[in-house]
Amino acid sequence: MSTFHLTVVTLDGCVFDGEAERLICRTIDGDVAILPRHIDYCTALGMGEAHIEVNGEFRYAACMGGLLSVLNGEVRLVATTWEWADDIDKARAEASRRRAERILAQEDISERERELAMARLKRALVRSSIAK
Amino acid sequence: MAGSMKALKSRMKSIESTRQITRAMELVASSRLRRARERRDNARPHFEVLYDTLQDIAAVNTEFRSRYLARREIKKTCYVVIVGDRGLAGGYNHNVFKLMEEDAQGKEYCVLPVGRKSIEHYGHGKAEIFSDAFPTVADLSVSDCFEMARLICDAYLEGRFDEIKMVYTEFKSILTQEATLMEVLPFHREKTEERRQSARKHIILYEPSSEEVFDAIIPEYIAGILYGGICESVASELAARRTAMNAATKNAGEMLDKLNLSYNQLRQAAITQEITEIIAGSEA
Repeated sequence: MSTFHLTVVTLDGCVFDGEAERLICRTIDGDVAILPRHIDYCTALGMGEAHIEVNGEFRYAACMGGLLSVLNGEVRLVATTWEWADDIDKARAEASRRRAERILAQEDISERERELAMARLKRALVRSSIAK
Repeated sequence: MAGSMKALKSRMKSIESTRQITRAMELVASSRLRRARERRDNARPHFEVLYDTLQDIAAVNTEFRSRYLARREIKKTCYVVIVGDRGLAGGYNHNVFKLMEEDAQGKEYCVLPVGRKSIEHYGHGKAEIFSDAFPTVADLSVSDCFEMARLICDAYLEGRFDEIKMVYTEFKSILTQEATLMEVLPFHREKTEERRQSARKHIILYEPSSEEVFDAIIPEYIAGILYGGICESVASELAARRTAMNAATKNAGEMLDKLNLSYNQLRQAAITQEITEIIAGSEA
């Protein structure tokens, strides 16, 4: 099967650099799948599950925010955070979800606090759905 | 004579213990420097990819408008000043303040200090402080940078200031670090022919639209710049401290040598005098 070259970088460095057969991730506009010989393409990423198919096997990760660009068949994914499924601490994600829900349940919180808690809840939900 | 010998001895002791401290600080700085440089190198590709993409978007679409691209009349500037938490690093902190103050002359400005020395410097009403939520530069994480980027982007869009500049120290090599000023917002569009041509050659599909992609990426890009600036600054601080402490250790060694020499001279003089006294006594 044909492949394309994929690099995934975050602020903490390069997390994936190699040949892949397929990349699926969530953009601000919905899920996209990138296959070899994709046209030049650029979009911003949302929060969600991402997976990379390498040699017929899927590797799952939680990917939040950033940019996806395809240029001359080179695929670059620049993520705010990228966590492989095996690295996610499920207990921590659950704790974070409960904390966010508790904050949201209070009535006297400011708009800003609500926003932060919502973002935290979203991240926690993404993480715990991906962790096995 | 015995008194001045004692004073010399105690002075040598205190220099010796200072030398021990400076040597320890040098060692600590050089071991942490390696990690700081690694962190800096890791953050580099992230910034480069984002920067290239933003430039490409800005280059292809000449008629495209973004709130981050528009240049408005500059009434107020926000400086993000990144320095260390501690002194004893030669001119490291001072160079940054000097550069910032030169640039800010005659302008209306506010400061977002990062690092304890920065807060101390601009505190006490010396400058208007935009936020003092980032007191220690050493343990700022990626998420803190995103928080900071969000803060300044929101304030920029609200019009609380019209440009954002970051003052940090660029790490050139272990021996040279340079205080640098960088314009963060409004986004500076590179107008080179090369950039335009490379952008024209590739027709890129932007989803949902180039404007939306641009606006979604900008906060990310700014967080990347801030994080990069912080990594550079931390590495520079450690390198500057290493150099300063190295010089201090050397100076202490030289002082010790000199003092040792005069101590030995004094001691010899005392012995000679005693011998002369004994001989004179026995002859009498």
